[in-house]
Amino acid sequence: MLYFPQLSSGAAGQFPIQKKRTARTLVNQSVQDYEIKLADPGAATTEWQISFAELNDQELAALETLFAATEGRLTSFTFVDPTDNLLAWSQEQNQAVWQADPLLTLTANIADPMGGTGAFQVTNAGLATQILQQSIAAPASLEYCLSVYARSNQSMQVWLMRGPETNASTISPEWTRLTSAGQQSSGNDSISFGVAAAGLTTAFFIPPEVRSNPSLFIDGVHKAFLVLGGFTVISTVVFWRLRQGDGDTIGHDVDSSAYVWTSG
Amino acid sequence: MFPTLKTGAVMQYPGKRILQFSTDVVRFLDGTEQRYREYASVLHRWTIKLDLLDESELAAYDQFFISNQGSFGSFSFTDPWDGTVYANCSLATDTFKFEVTGEMRGATTVTICENRT
Repeated sequence: MLYFPQLSSGAAGQFPIQKKRTARTLVNQSVQDYEIKLADPGAATTEWQISFAELNDQELAALETLFAATEGRLTSFTFVDPTDNLLAWSQEQNQAVWQADPLLTLTANIADPMGGTGAFQVTNAGLATQILQQSIAAPASLEYCLSVYARSNQSMQVWLMRGPETNASTISPEWTRLTSAGQQSSGNDSISFGVAAAGLTTAFFIPPEVRSNPSLFIDGVHKAFLVLGGFTVISTVVFWRLRQGDGDTIGHDVDSSAYVWTSG
Repeated sequence: MFPTLKTGAVMQYPGKRILQFSTDVVRFLDGTEQRYREYASVLHRWTIKLDLLDESELAAYDQFFISNQGSFGSFSFTDPWDGTVYANCSLATDTFKFEVTGEMRGATTVTICENRT
């Protein structure tokens, strides 16, 4: 899988970043300005313009390597959108992209820490640890940051899962932002992100006399759950000062301070 | 519904509103004119220029553009000048572009046009 490299800092881009979405709508317009419209979703494109400055040799080499591998605009590659939440449907956990273990019960429209109702409740009615996760088709070797706001009625432990790595955190009745960031050495073309909650065997949070089940609230709003964006593909690399008409050759000026990458 | 900023505001200064009529003018040899109204009523257009947006605000506009499929979809828009609700409006273009120059420094411009009902 070809993919756009990250900088040594783990960032996919530097400021300023521009993103442009383009749709196509066919319009039949009358003199009186009445309109009949037809959407053409297949023609939609997304384009990013990313400027890079003060790259080191390895970072520049990684860009050049990608350019050579894609043969300019010829071959597609995966681009992880640095401006978007990479997780799909982060506010609707009943969508098919989410994989919930069978004993998890999900309840939506729970009050969130931003004053809305974007949070959801996860109740683990089983004895074993249960996982809610989502996989994205992106290189597992890139650096990601997963974060959620979480709370529980009683203090309990949850785990953020970022690929094979798990990070345990203790949550309380107060909303707490949990994060898990890092890089894997895996060469897989996909990676899963999720959260795991212990089962009822941890009787600490489920006293039998308490009516409410031990619950975990996860904010679905926050950008945390990074993944799956519009991996709307790719095409060309254009260097600012050495703009190539067809993108089939590449070069760079060591004095050049900025580069532009476009795709769409 | 068109997204609002975290403050609840619909737009930032400078705000821009355009009222548009369409008139057909027939000019005769003696210099007199006869004018015909081509639009049944005035159409409104708003240009909303936004700056210093954070990621969640940008994401809301981005999602709104996707939901509407550009200029295809229609939505209700409340004129921030006078509070009038225009039930049939659309994005004016099939392009949505934003720029992020730093943390909480996103900028974009959105143009909304009223559709003939």
